[in-house]
Amino acid sequence: MPSVFSSALPGLTGLSAPRWRLRLRHPLTLGLFSVALLWLIWQIAAGSGWIQPLFLPAPQAVLAKLALAAGQGFMDATLWQHLAASLSRIGLALLAAVAVGVPLGLAMGVSPVLRGLLDPLIEGYRPVPPLAYLPLIVIWCGIGELSKVLLIFLAMLAPIVLSATHGVTRVSPSRLRAAQSLGASRRQLLWRVVLPTALPDILTGLRIGLGAGWSTLVAAELVAATRGLGFMVQSAAQFLVTDMVLAGIVVIGGIAFVLELGLRALQQRLCPWHGQQD
Amino acid sequence: MDDDALRAWSVSVRYPGQPEPALADVSLSIGPQALTVALGPSGCGKTTLLNVLAGFVPPSQGRVTLAGAPITGPGADRAVVFQHDALLPWLDVRDNVAFALELQGVGRRERHARAEALLAEVGLAHAARQPVWTLSGGMRQRVGIARALASPSRALLMDEPFGALDAFTREQMQTLLLEVWRHSGRRIFLITHDIEEALFLATELVLMSPGPGRIVERIEPGFSRRWLAGEPVRALKSDPAFIALREHLLDTLARHRQANDKETA
Ligand SMILES: Nc1ncnc2c1ncn2[C@@H]1O[C@H](COP(=O)(O)OP(=O)(O)OP(=O)(O)O)[C@@H](O)[C@H]1O
Ligand SMILES: [Mg+2]
Repeated sequence: MPSVFSSALPGLTGLSAPRWRLRLRHPLTLGLFSVALLWLIWQIAAGSGWIQPLFLPAPQAVLAKLALAAGQGFMDATLWQHLAASLSRIGLALLAAVAVGVPLGLAMGVSPVLRGLLDPLIEGYRPVPPLAYLPLIVIWCGIGELSKVLLIFLAMLAPIVLSATHGVTRVSPSRLRAAQSLGASRRQLLWRVVLPTALPDILTGLRIGLGAGWSTLVAAELVAATRGLGFMVQSAAQFLVTDMVLAGIVVIGGIAFVLELGLRALQQRLCPWHGQQD
Repeated sequence: MDDDALRAWSVSVRYPGQPEPALADVSLSIGPQALTVALGPSGCGKTTLLNVLAGFVPPSQGRVTLAGAPITGPGADRAVVFQHDALLPWLDVRDNVAFALELQGVGRRERHARAEALLAEVGLAHAARQPVWTLSGGMRQRVGIARALASPSRALLMDEPFGALDAFTREQMQTLLLEVWRHSGRRIFLITHDIEEALFLATELVLMSPGPGRIVERIEPGFSRRWLAGEPVRALKSDPAFIALREHLLDTLARHRQANDKETA
């Protein structure tokens, strides 16, 4: 989160600075600056001939490759088809992870028994790299679409469950008790007090889950895929098409970043009180 | 005996793992017109007493009744106002108040009208559509009071409702509370550790002391009724009778502290 400090400590970072300097310190300006700098270094390193194109192709070569992939395609599918395949896997996995993870996380937050039972399982599998249990999934579920989605789903599930659980523990006893004393039933407490209180954390879980999902995409598409951004990158790597590898990385990074920004905006819209209280 | 009273009968509360009971043999009767204030140092069991009256904490011994009926859990006949954190930040001011009405199944339009009327009563008509997280501490407490008034409660239980406010706002809130008390006709049980606040507001004041938590003195100050009859706040708070009672309470608190210190030493 690049903007955490500038937004949390406006008084510190903005202390008696003139306007133009404040504008320079805007997170967007800073972000654009670092991207441009990276681009420049890349351009110089690749363009000067210090590094062979096999190791680091020039930025324009990567862009050209992207254009080629978008038009003619790469490995029997266009960039858009690869993109669509990956997005639908991520989307499916996310839907499933939310459908399972949010209720489960809420239930774990509410019930200490359930938390005691499930917490070790979730905390136990969470740090295991998806590549390690990928073979198991293939043995159990085959090499079809199910295995790919399942792998991404598992990567997303843990952060979503844990965030929802954490969100529930944020409900202050006085908020619950005040609502109870106004006549709220258990059901009403859950729907009208606990769930909205946990919402900001649930959305944070979604963001973290989505990030985890993207980072297992390549692993998931190791499994007999014929389409997908991860598949595209792997095939390119096998044939040492370095510019295609970079092109794939840029696309994955760019899309994940845009989704993250979208979720942040959603969080800001749905939970404007988040981080504002007291 | 007042039959309509909210009563604690020889209530003791012992939390698991605590060496001493948090409350020992506390009896209290809060009549329909009462504004009962519990005053005492930190840890003397004030919140525990409120939690027992509200039904959040079951007494280990003794019982609690409202108009003769036993209290076994929280209920809409006793609305609680907390110092912090009890409002719902995703609802605006009016909807926070209307929340209490919604729980009773009041229809949308009537809900809004009644919530707005209650907000006017606590001087917040202008802020009805504001998000609660943009309000000052004093305004939030007024929303909490309006919300408690929206419930069908017969008693308001308030745990240090003005504890986080500055002295000026605090005094405003005290007089506002007295107006609300008169208009709504609801009894109030209020906790504070501010001696002047307790003396000014209370029709009955119970002084509590820790180790174990108990009531060590009961007085009936009566300054709130004098304020409602038209005497100014500052005059009341500098009245010789007020000052004498204040010094007396300070003295009693100091004596009990010494006694406790000796016991533990
Ligand atoms: N849930 C609990 N579990 C165990 N002990 C508790 C619990 N709540 C309160 N106590 C203990 O009971 C005693 C009385 O606490 P209580 O909160 O009623 O005091 P209080 O008068 O409200 O204090 P304060 O003015 O600080 O709010 C304290 O010794 C406290 O440590
Ligand atoms: Mg307390």
